[in-house]
Amino acid sequence: MARFAPLKSSSKTTETNKQWVAAPAESDYQHGFSFTTDDYALISQPGLNKKIVQLIAHHKSEPAWMLKHRLQALAIFDSRPMPTWGADLSQIDFDSIHYYLRPLSDTAKTWADVPDDIKTTFERIGVPQAEREYLAGVKMQYDSEVVYGSLKSQWEKDGVIFLSMDEGLAKYPDLVKEYFGKVISVGDNKFSALNTAVWSGGSFVYVPPGVHVSMPLQTYFRINSENAGQFERTLIIVDEGASVHYIEGCTAPAYSSQSLHAAVVEIFVKKGARCQYTTVQNWYKTVYNLVTKRARVEEEGEMIWTDFNMGSKVTMKYPGFILAGAGARGETLSMAVAGAGQHLDTGSKAIHLAPHTKSTIISKSTSQGGGIATYRGLVQVAPQAVKSKNKVVCDALLLDPASVSNTYPTERVLTHDVQLEHEATVSKIGEEQLFYLMTRGLSEEAASKMIVQGFVAPLIRKLPLEYAVEMNRLIDMEMEGSIG
Amino acid sequence: MSDSVITYRYENLPDDQPIDLELTKPGHYRIELAGKGVEVNIKGVFQAKEQETVEVQVQIAHLAQHTTSNTLLRGVARDQAQLKLIGTIKVEPSANQTNAFLTENILLLNEGARAEAIPNLEIQTDEVKCSHAATVSSIPEEQLFYLQSRGLNLQTAQDLIVSGFLKL
Repeated sequence: MARFAPLKSSSKTTETNKQWVAAPAESDYQHGFSFTTDDYALISQPGLNKKIVQLIAHHKSEPAWMLKHRLQALAIFDSRPMPTWGADLSQIDFDSIHYYLRPLSDTAKTWADVPDDIKTTFERIGVPQAEREYLAGVKMQYDSEVVYGSLKSQWEKDGVIFLSMDEGLAKYPDLVKEYFGKVISVGDNKFSALNTAVWSGGSFVYVPPGVHVSMPLQTYFRINSENAGQFERTLIIVDEGASVHYIEGCTAPAYSSQSLHAAVVEIFVKKGARCQYTTVQNWYKTVYNLVTKRARVEEEGEMIWTDFNMGSKVTMKYPGFILAGAGARGETLSMAVAGAGQHLDTGSKAIHLAPHTKSTIISKSTSQGGGIATYRGLVQVAPQAVKSKNKVVCDALLLDPASVSNTYPTERVLTHDVQLEHEATVSKIGEEQLFYLMTRGLSEEAASKMIVQGFVAPLIRKLPLEYAVEMNRLIDMEMEGSIG
Repeated sequence: MSDSVITYRYENLPDDQPIDLELTKPGHYRIELAGKGVEVNIKGVFQAKEQETVEVQVQIAHLAQHTTSNTLLRGVARDQAQLKLIGTIKVEPSANQTNAFLTENILLLNEGARAEAIPNLEIQTDEVKCSHAATVSSIPEEQLFYLQSRGLNLQTAQDLIVSGFLKL
């Protein structure tokens, strides 16, 4: 889910690919993103076996322990059954997936080559020109490199490491080894095992003690590195008293011919540190997005997940935090917009292991056109986590009778001295609200859009300004033609 | 706990009065609102003590239009007991104009007592108003302090708060 990754992870349309390129015609994709690029240096055979894993490790010249880790994960992936809860995953054909694509370093493309409909989408969402070119696979412009360069020298001065995961492993093998797979273990679940076996790309971030990274780190900045985003692996370590805001994804609809995206994100927040991780994603509507994200938060640390889910056929994603140190705090803000043919099964996990820990989970979802939005959450308070507090709020909006909204919260409390609150509401757009706005001269569609935007506004507000603006326009686009 | 499900099915409202249903025993219940306009108020109070595991599962199924359910489940767990309250509001596509509310409150009296609150919602149509709320907590210290400042000892104060909590 690297910011622009999916654009690049489209593949050669060879005969073998055709069968796993999504069944619906590409023209069905309303935002008109489809790239058939020939810019891959290496495409592995479809299917997954030991050889493929060895090939990946060999190509990346990885240390022996990583290969061992990968093979161990592969064995676990093979032995685990498919999850039978949540969304329907039975359609995934693991044998038709290419597990490793290595892009060529130079992709010569110009803005003029970019299809008009994509330009139109950018125009409507309001993506700045420099970003548009990057998004469309055009190389970075000189200006942006200057901006990136000055930020980079500042980070280097402070000792901040911000690399792709592959570079991180090559340059800081000891640091990676110390943390890799420590909060999401090899056998955590079937899809994290799959990721561990074949991971490629993703980010590696280390922030030294006391350093506050003022500008959000965006995968967007990390040019000239492999953004490829099918099985990316991200590791973020925020050392004592430091803080960082990391942003992945993009509001622009991301086409990917790959049918499966299984990422793993591990975050370590040390004593007194703070980490905010923002995801803005909008996958092609045939993608299975099965992601495992978890943070371990030490004493007085703070972890904030802002998770915005749009697009994809199926999303199953439950960013979690383990509050392991006294006074640690965690917060999840989750939003899901489910349209026709989509099942977004999202939520959050809060594990309280230490006294005086606090967590908040706020989830908002909208369902329309027969879409299914599910909140699935777990709050667990361990016996030693006395004086802990948790609050979960889920609000769902149903836009038509065919759509479905589910809420499955679980609160497990193993100590007595705690305060847990949960509340959830499901409703449709109020007739009175619509009527009022329509008497003021708005069309039904405009009125509905306004109500939905008001509904999600408290979450959108947490985004950096340019993302917030883009997100609002995107929700507008998603709702177009869905009313009445 | 036995696996058998106790089902209550309501096709119509006698005398146009809401139906009051009180659940007194742990177990697995299914309450069906099968007739247009049916309104049910469900209450349940549960206590778990010593080494007990008390599990209550209530499914409230809205099958017909204009149905209303209000569910309030309360429980107290003490000693080494475990209390599990699982409530599910299910609104079928045929059940337009449904109002459904579910509340679960659990009080944990001492260290070692455990609780699980699972209030689920499964909504398959849009003309609905559904919500649920759940709390799990110990007795607020302020309340105990207040009663103790009035001359009650800790045990009496605790008993008083619990009996108030369980009186619906």
